[in-house]
Amino acid sequence: MGLQTNGLSLEVVGREVSGRPVAGKPRRPAAPYLLGLPALLLSCLLLIPIGVTVVAAFRTNGGFGFGNFAVMGDPGALRAVGNSLLWVLVAFAVVAVGFFLALLSYRLPALTSFLQPALVIPFAVSVLVSGATFRLIFDPAPEHGTVTAVWTRLFGTSPVWLGPGLFWLVLVSAFGWTWLGYVVSLFRAGLDAIPDDITRTIAAEGVTGWRRLFMLEIPLLRPITGVVTLTVVIAAVRVFDLVLIVVPGSMQGSADVLGLNWWRATASGEDPGRTAALGLVLFAIVAAVGVIGFRGLRRRRWAFPVAVVPPDPTLGRAKPSKRVRRFGWTVGFAVSLVWILPALVLVATALHSPREAGLHGWWSLSGLGFSSFSAAANIGLFRALLSTVLIAGAATAVLLVIAVPTAYLVAWGGLPQWLGRVLMSVFVVLAVTPVQMYAAPLRDAIGSAGLAGSRIALALVHAAAGLPFAVLLLRSAFASAPPALVSEALLGPARQSAVLATVQRTYRPALIAVAVLEFALVWNDFIVGFLISGPGTTPLSLVLWGEARQFSASSGTVAAAAVVASVVPVVLMLTFWQKVVRGLTAGSRP
Amino acid sequence: MPSSRRAFLGAAATLMVAGCSSDVLGLRRSVRVAVSWSGQELRAFHDVLNGLGRLDYPVEVVPLGDDISTAFGARSTRRPDIVMLPQPGLVPREREDRDDIQTIPDELAAPGRARLWNDLLVYDGKTYGVPFKTAHKSAIWYRPSVFREVGVQPPQLWSEWLTINKALSDAGIRPLSLAAGDGWVLTDFLENVLLGIAPAVYAGLATATEPRPSREPEFAAALRLLGSMWSAPGAFAGGVKRSLVQQFPDAIVEVFGHRRAAMVLASDFAEPVVRSFAADPDDIGVFTFPALVPGAAAPVVVGGDVMVLPKPSSDNAVDLVRRLSTPAAVDPWIKQGGFLVDGRVTGYSPELTRLAEQLTAPNGLLQFDLSDQLGPVGGINGLWRVLTDFLIRIGDRGSAVVPEAVDTAVAELREVEG
Repeated sequence: MGLQTNGLSLEVVGREVSGRPVAGKPRRPAAPYLLGLPALLLSCLLLIPIGVTVVAAFRTNGGFGFGNFAVMGDPGALRAVGNSLLWVLVAFAVVAVGFFLALLSYRLPALTSFLQPALVIPFAVSVLVSGATFRLIFDPAPEHGTVTAVWTRLFGTSPVWLGPGLFWLVLVSAFGWTWLGYVVSLFRAGLDAIPDDITRTIAAEGVTGWRRLFMLEIPLLRPITGVVTLTVVIAAVRVFDLVLIVVPGSMQGSADVLGLNWWRATASGEDPGRTAALGLVLFAIVAAVGVIGFRGLRRRRWAFPVAVVPPDPTLGRAKPSKRVRRFGWTVGFAVSLVWILPALVLVATALHSPREAGLHGWWSLSGLGFSSFSAAANIGLFRALLSTVLIAGAATAVLLVIAVPTAYLVAWGGLPQWLGRVLMSVFVVLAVTPVQMYAAPLRDAIGSAGLAGSRIALALVHAAAGLPFAVLLLRSAFASAPPALVSEALLGPARQSAVLATVQRTYRPALIAVAVLEFALVWNDFIVGFLISGPGTTPLSLVLWGEARQFSASSGTVAAAAVVASVVPVVLMLTFWQKVVRGLTAGSRP
Repeated sequence: MPSSRRAFLGAAATLMVAGCSSDVLGLRRSVRVAVSWSGQELRAFHDVLNGLGRLDYPVEVVPLGDDISTAFGARSTRRPDIVMLPQPGLVPREREDRDDIQTIPDELAAPGRARLWNDLLVYDGKTYGVPFKTAHKSAIWYRPSVFREVGVQPPQLWSEWLTINKALSDAGIRPLSLAAGDGWVLTDFLENVLLGIAPAVYAGLATATEPRPSREPEFAAALRLLGSMWSAPGAFAGGVKRSLVQQFPDAIVEVFGHRRAAMVLASDFAEPVVRSFAADPDDIGVFTFPALVPGAAAPVVVGGDVMVLPKPSSDNAVDLVRRLSTPAAVDPWIKQGGFLVDGRVTGYSPELTRLAEQLTAPNGLLQFDLSDQLGPVGGINGLWRVLTDFLIRIGDRGSAVVPEAVDTAVAELREVEG
């Protein structure tokens, strides 16, 4: 709504003024561009190998063409593509279930106190650990596997859960267990951010039930839905180590996904052009999802009335009735119990001797003790722990040092609009690029530089892989800074560095989110260490995987190693979870 | 409290310095040994390394599992310094196709020139590997108490074995436990049968440059014999579906831990698993694969782990091979069980001594594992998959379905051979 009088154009806005406070083109010093230089160098670690892969995919004996893509006609590769697409469906299902759980916990606030930690723990542990846990739970021996034992007790006999077809159930459970906490937490943060005025207005108009859902929650949560769907779908397409650890060898073929297919082709020495083509197809799927998701993100512009009067705490949301609250507690308690069960299974298994853990389930009362932990210590677990601390610490430090100035440059550095847009698109594409796109050339390069097996090189690759996401997150946090603050800094005697300092101080949640997520991600990483550093470095996950090869006979040791490997990320996530969620949702808040 | 804070910072700094030693940073060159072992075997190998005393260089063990052959992969630019190759049959291929294996210095070459090994490891007067460990792949571990209960003796002949299985089934005992989740268990089974009925064909396939097992009628005959045992209803503990998800330790636990089956085909290296999970430590017996036809020799399929030096090798790697090949080096592993050394017959448990004696007996029908020597045909997409499908088609269905399943299996294999 606007009006024009006397050559003056007035506009009435229902939100904060976010334009430039002073008219005219500001001076654009070149110095800020230097802020982006380290990021450019670091990104080259990915960009150049990606370029090499793309070229290799199109290069055939007789010049350039699509000849290498004939590899997609291979039935194995086709099945892998099919399975990867199935995983996308799984991801959508997880998002849907997570949304309803979040809605439930929003309407019944009593749930939160239980649900939160129960949901965060799985997100903190590595895919390898959650895969191992679910394989333990679904073990086919009725003395050993929880589900098999219960089923046998109830029905006399039990299906072979890890058998043909049914292994999907185990895979999907493990995936859902890992990701649901993240989904619920983010949706919940979005729901909490809906101003009470709107909720009350809608309630006063008598809109309830499904209509309320479609009028209120779903449209308002669209930006967050975008972020959530994007992360979960990409995680689903990139599934790799989960299949490796969960599916028994005889069925690995039917569980094949693109990422694994690529690795098998590389490992068996297939033509690099054909494997590059496989990598490119995987990349195309992920990039398509990423671009669609990101476009969805950009298409939101919600103007909220600015809350002039601070909300009166006594006027908060109406308390649900006693019956509803009791229901909430029961459901919350039950869900949390189910959710925490796998973690309990893991810890309880680790507390049995290797013999007892191999013979009987976690509920057995004999053979309790710490001997599985000492067995795990014997396979070089503590050396791996030290190695992992170093890699994760270095990667996080490098990432923060480089990502913060870059994000600042993109957000407030006064870049021309087109350049900002190009940069953002490059970062979005890089953020979703699967490791398979750059693994092979990068490993060759690291090898010929004599750095193979170097943990520093691995940490740098991790930092480079984490950079795009970190910049995207930090940029949106910086960009949502109150303009007043920035304009004050820009107009005042302070220089860019002061703006940086102010912004940095104010946007700690995003910083913490980036640091915590990167540390946990690197700590839990399997695929980068496995594909890039080759057999040289021994981060935790590789040790764990080596141990898990004879799965149920070494259950005790595997569980002990998994528990040791999970302590750090779990403590980190539980401590910082609120800040991480705030940081993750800062830029996508309505 | 400032003082405690300072102490904490000091401790943290010390830790950092200790942690950042070049060894952990990965800058100091350690000797990296790629192995296929995990679990107990991996721990035993660590014990062996610890028993070597102080070394001038750090040693890093890299467990690669079934993907051990990727240690040679075309793309791995900096490989492990030593590969403990569990498929000695791959050595000739690696040497010919890629020329990326270092010859072994003469003073270490003797074990590689021993009987059987020399076919694989010696070429043109040069030796390309040092045997570290020998495996007897024709061992069947069983529970003597069950045999006594039914009144049977370990079989001397394949037909006797089938009778025993029948007797056990009739008594309500599942005769076999099968680790079909590990493809090599299936190929080992077939190799024993093939070696038992047609040693010449076996040897021919092992040395062929382009082996085509599907064209050998004896190969189909071996499949039919195998089918006569696998197709018997109730032959496997837990049925075929359970077998498919079992790895070899699981199959052993089924027999000795949960006591749901009478016997399991597993190599000598199964010993520690057998002992650590056995419900009754005295109820453990082992017999060797019986002869297939009266008057013929019993087949012995041999495996092993051979130390191979990928090019270029370092002095430290050669030094480690030298230390590992001294007879006393492997004593810690022998003590834990499940370890045989080529040519040695003492120091083992009674069960393993029997196996070691059969390995050293003159005139034995000994051959190396065939599947490693078949190249891709014997690999995960070849024989492994074909035998898995074969098992699924015939398991629990009775002998009537066998002939058709054999035809299908041969056809599938022919497709792999191309």
